[in-house]
Amino acid sequence: MKKYLTAYAISLQETLQRRSTLIMDRVGGFAVILSLYSFWTALLGDKPGFMGYTRAEMLTYVLVINVLRSLVFTGRGWQLVGEISSGKISSYLIRPLGYSAYALSLDLAQKSVHVASAVLEVALLSALTRGALFLPRDPAAWLLFAASAALASLLFFYMEFTVSCLAFWTSESGGPLFCFELFLTFAAGAFFPLDVLPDGLRRLLSATPFPYMAYLPARVFLEKVTAAEGLRLLAVEAAWLAAVVAVSRLVWRAGVNSYAAEGG
Amino acid sequence: METVRKYFVIWIRTAGMAMQAQLTYRLGSFGFLIGKMIRLGFFFAFIVAVFNHVDTVAGYNLTETALFFLTYNVVDMVAQIFFRGVYGARRTVSEGDFDFYLVQPCSPLFRIVFSSVDFLDIVTLIPVLVMVGVAFGRLPHAGWERYAAYAALVLNGVALSYSVHVFVAGLTVRTQEMENAIWIYREVMFMGRFPVDVYAASVRWALTLGVPIAVMTSFPAKAYLGRLSPAWAAYAFALSALGLIASALYWRASVARYTSSSS
Amino acid sequence: MSVALETKGLTKDYRSPVKEPGLWGGVKALFDRKYKDTRAVDGVTFKIDEGELVGFLGANGAGKTTTLKMLSGLLTPTSGEAVALGHVPWKREAEFQKKISLVMGQRTQLWWELPAYETFRLNQAIYGIPEVDFRRNLDELVDLLELGEHLSVPVKKLSLGQRMRAEMAAALLHQPRLLLLDEPTIGLDVIMQKKVREFVKAYNKKYNATIMLTSHNMTDVTELCRRVIVIERGVLLYDGPLDRLVERYADHKLIRARFQTPVDAADLKNLGSVISMEENVVVLEVPRDRIAASAGALLASYPVLDLDVEEVDIDDIVRRLFSHA
Repeated sequence: MKKYLTAYAISLQETLQRRSTLIMDRVGGFAVILSLYSFWTALLGDKPGFMGYTRAEMLTYVLVINVLRSLVFTGRGWQLVGEISSGKISSYLIRPLGYSAYALSLDLAQKSVHVASAVLEVALLSALTRGALFLPRDPAAWLLFAASAALASLLFFYMEFTVSCLAFWTSESGGPLFCFELFLTFAAGAFFPLDVLPDGLRRLLSATPFPYMAYLPARVFLEKVTAAEGLRLLAVEAAWLAAVVAVSRLVWRAGVNSYAAEGG
Repeated sequence: METVRKYFVIWIRTAGMAMQAQLTYRLGSFGFLIGKMIRLGFFFAFIVAVFNHVDTVAGYNLTETALFFLTYNVVDMVAQIFFRGVYGARRTVSEGDFDFYLVQPCSPLFRIVFSSVDFLDIVTLIPVLVMVGVAFGRLPHAGWERYAAYAALVLNGVALSYSVHVFVAGLTVRTQEMENAIWIYREVMFMGRFPVDVYAASVRWALTLGVPIAVMTSFPAKAYLGRLSPAWAAYAFALSALGLIASALYWRASVARYTSSSS
Repeated sequence: MSVALETKGLTKDYRSPVKEPGLWGGVKALFDRKYKDTRAVDGVTFKIDEGELVGFLGANGAGKTTTLKMLSGLLTPTSGEAVALGHVPWKREAEFQKKISLVMGQRTQLWWELPAYETFRLNQAIYGIPEVDFRRNLDELVDLLELGEHLSVPVKKLSLGQRMRAEMAAALLHQPRLLLLDEPTIGLDVIMQKKVREFVKAYNKKYNATIMLTSHNMTDVTELCRRVIVIERGVLLYDGPLDRLVERYADHKLIRARFQTPVDAADLKNLGSVISMEENVVVLEVPRDRIAASAGALLASYPVLDLDVEEVDIDDIVRRLFSHA
């Protein structure tokens, strides 16, 4: 356990050290949130609400998504691809270190910094716009939100991890990974609430794990689901996570075997 | 004239080589292509879906908003197609290719920016151009001056984008680690997807006078719709002239300070 | 014999960021960057005639590659002057660039995924080589470098030796008059090293091209260069014939003696330091001024069958030179 904590600390240091990367990421994130927030504000115009969301709820959705994006949509997929293709992965395979747990520790450090920044940005934006922010009154909603967000971030991490394992078999896994991440962020509702989509498409998506990564946790935050419904969603999310982790383990093992067979 | 011909031949050769090289990565290329189409498609679907529920956003109807979005894509994609080399600038410098550029009788700036043409982006640009035509068709008739203004401002936007890319190239050469700068440009460019009018006044000013995304992506459509005064258009051209000069000077200074990556 | 290249007081300073270790250091670095200045090349002055083949010697980071890079126009010096083939290198004038070429060991200008031939074609466009000259030069180079079928295979599939040869071809298509080679044999096996050396020698002879070469590999230098320039910590320590370098800086010589019967090493200690002792053969390192005395003593007091006086190995000289200065 200690080694993972050390990994966390080192990664935290590294994230702060590479200040240019950090600033870039945050500025980029802020640009996105500002655009979407402005777009929705312009769209709402004088209207009191849109598609079942009040003004405050709509705008809060955008802000919550920003925090979720920092928490959920970061992973170690690209690093994994890099380490496999450069062969650095071999050094991990011979050490008494669970690679995915190790990568997760590194990722959590990164997430810590980014989430802290995201929360600051959200606070800054809502102060600047003096927009009415919707905050849940029910403490259960906060808890459910935190739980589903935590699960969501693990869900993304392991899904990305699995796709990145493609690198064990091809040197061109960058393309599929890029494609996957883009599709995921849209399908998760990280740019706009999925209510905007036509019914058929929405129902299709709800059968996938994607909406659980951003859209549904945001809805929990906005208290658009009852406590009971919230628990049910959490359970489904947990089930998806279990499935994804299982698949990622299988794919990882297959990948390592194929990698070892080729002589590394 | 002879130089123009020489550079054209060099560009054709490198473009051909870049495409050949890209074709050796079939799976990766396919993935990126699909990814880009997804991004384009989803955003477009979003805009259409939104307009199922409202009539206008910031005073623009569906076709008009779509035009803004498509124009953003045109400027962005043209920049991506031609200036792609800058995205790999850090590798070019750290792997020593830039050293060769400096020693050979061909502008190193030219090579670092233009040596990497993305064949796939050309593929994705075509449907966007078609859609722009469709949008023109759906909007009320406009005189030839409007089309000319649109085209001029699109080129202007590309010129501004070029200045940004040159600046980033200079930064990379100087510090050998600022590849992130180009990503920041791309992320801030995200804001150009929407007509600049959706933004609050302060942001709008920032995007016009500060980081001139609005000039790059919103001005052409505005001019087409007759909503851009000549004064603003003049500003746009002056800005890109300034940008081209400033970035060229910065590049020259950066190369003079170049340290090269080995002993 | 005309002067190909001349430098005066060439100096280059570098500035690099300094990072403090630890988490607190990481946070501090966010707000306050510190730098460290290093002088890589310090007042280097020399003159090279056309057609000369000069070797640059020096430890890693000594400044030889930096000097070479300034002469190719790659780097701009902090101060000092240089004129090569009638031009100031860092002005990077096209006519200058068309007369020179830079080859760097283990680095390639060849496009990785494509056959070397494609890069040759690109260079043809860059250097403006007429088709006739291109074909002729290419054929000659392919012949000299034995490139044959290697040109149509993607560069990534070539071995290091084949790649290096293709690299040399790419660098010489435009028949440069000044050739700058930075560690050209690094990473190559012994046979390939020899091939590269022979090629360089042949090229120098055939075209009277001026060649400057940096290398760690002493055989490169001893085989190719009659003149060497030694640079250590940016400072030019020696500029002259290779054999005189050996003479001047080797203050010791070696005595190799074969005895009839085994001799105790301890006995020989006051005659010199024992480098090796195998069966009946002893190698002693003796200061130059004591050679005669030690040799005489050996012959007088021991059953010597054979006695040789040799120079210290060049590698050792160079190594010792660097640790001295």
